[in-house]
Amino acid sequence: MKDGNIEQKLQSEAKALLESGKVDYIIGFEAGSLKFTTTPLITNNIADIDRLVINPFIVNNLSVYLTEVKGRVGIVVKGCDSRSIVTLIQDKQVAREDVVILGVPCPGIIDLSKVERLVGKDRDELDDITRDGDRVVITVDGNETEFPTAEVLFDNCLGCEFPTPKEYDVLLDEFSPLVAGKAASQESLEKLKGMTPEQRWEFWKNEFSRCIRCYACRNICPACFCERCFVEESEPQWISPVPRWQDNLMFQIIRNIHVAGRCTDCGECERACPVNIPLRSLTKEMYDIVDDLFGFKAGMDKEAAPLLTAYALEEAEDFIR
Amino acid sequence: MKQDLEWEPRLVGFLCKWCSYAGADLAGTSRKKYPANIRVIRVPCSGRVDPLFILKALRLGFDGVLVSGCHPGDCHYQTGNYYARRRIAITKKFLEYIGIDPERIQASWVSASEGGKFAEVVTAVAKGLKEVGPNKLFADERREHRTKTTK
Repeated sequence: MKDGNIEQKLQSEAKALLESGKVDYIIGFEAGSLKFTTTPLITNNIADIDRLVINPFIVNNLSVYLTEVKGRVGIVVKGCDSRSIVTLIQDKQVAREDVVILGVPCPGIIDLSKVERLVGKDRDELDDITRDGDRVVITVDGNETEFPTAEVLFDNCLGCEFPTPKEYDVLLDEFSPLVAGKAASQESLEKLKGMTPEQRWEFWKNEFSRCIRCYACRNICPACFCERCFVEESEPQWISPVPRWQDNLMFQIIRNIHVAGRCTDCGECERACPVNIPLRSLTKEMYDIVDDLFGFKAGMDKEAAPLLTAYALEEAEDFIR
Repeated sequence: MKQDLEWEPRLVGFLCKWCSYAGADLAGTSRKKYPANIRVIRVPCSGRVDPLFILKALRLGFDGVLVSGCHPGDCHYQTGNYYARRRIAITKKFLEYIGIDPERIQASWVSASEGGKFAEVVTAVAKGLKEVGPNKLFADERREHRTKTTK
């Protein structure tokens, strides 16, 4: 189905939900103020529903708003976002009956910086970007150029394991996308693993020297839902609020341990970072560690216990003396 | 006269109150010898040990951390050490990926009757840390006497 048809189906479903009073709010995407961008739309007004869009730029993981919006909510989700909702249900932050999940099978989200690098133009200079299956057509000054979709998707979308939502009430399209490029999505991690431990430490030290501790990564993260974050504790004060690289790095290490088993590799932290720290190279490694050690993938089963509140009698303990 | 001090690793031990702490006590009362590198913090259960404690110790310049609890099945609270095991497993792997030597994060099961084992564990961990060397990971604002090495 074309994006336009999905959009129509979404709008009629959303309207019906609001009209029947089944939900108080709809959370979805509307066109952003800049070309090729979208922005979250949270509304209880039926007149706003026509603004809902589905396109290859619906980048945000909207499940982060679920813990903030009171009442029953209809929400538009992609594969990874639906798993975030499942982890929120597992952690009892959201009740399943309070959400109506409008699932979008997601063939990957287009990374505009990759497009810019590929065509060597600023996003404002592009006329159009259209996706047709595994090809993307970019129009600049009236000239169309075709590229494989895999070259312009976000790293975390490449080789996506679960493009179709795991949990949904309405699936807006039937097709099940296959996203190529598994190897490319691991590239940055493999590069780091090829380094010596000293080089890796030096790498992260460098990256986190830029961190301004704005906490955008934490605030955008659906898995980071603590009422009070450990960085704001003052008795005892675990880490200094001053953005020195040591504390920045410590903050991010602990954040990653806290979201272990909740992180679905949606990539929002890295996109939110104003100083471009490659945060996904941390979160994805934790995602892989959890999978390797315990065969646990976040957000697969809403009945399952969260990773760190469960155990098996026989488990990896070769590191214990 | 300037004294040349040989560098000795500093190790924090988080010992569970029911098993490992009693095991450490037994090591003392049975006059077992083990290196004085360990600074012991008693915790109610190995499950109380937040990965944040481990990080904080390293951040403060300790050279290693030992978390020790009851053997699987022997936890006073039935299951605390199982949770600890999962948490330490992911912490250790993740820190290794960041570039922290996995030797610095140690765990052991020591029961209240294993004074001998406690002495052995501390000896082995201290020896391992000596090979790894001083923790300069977060250096540049730590006080100097903490990193004093042989000149």
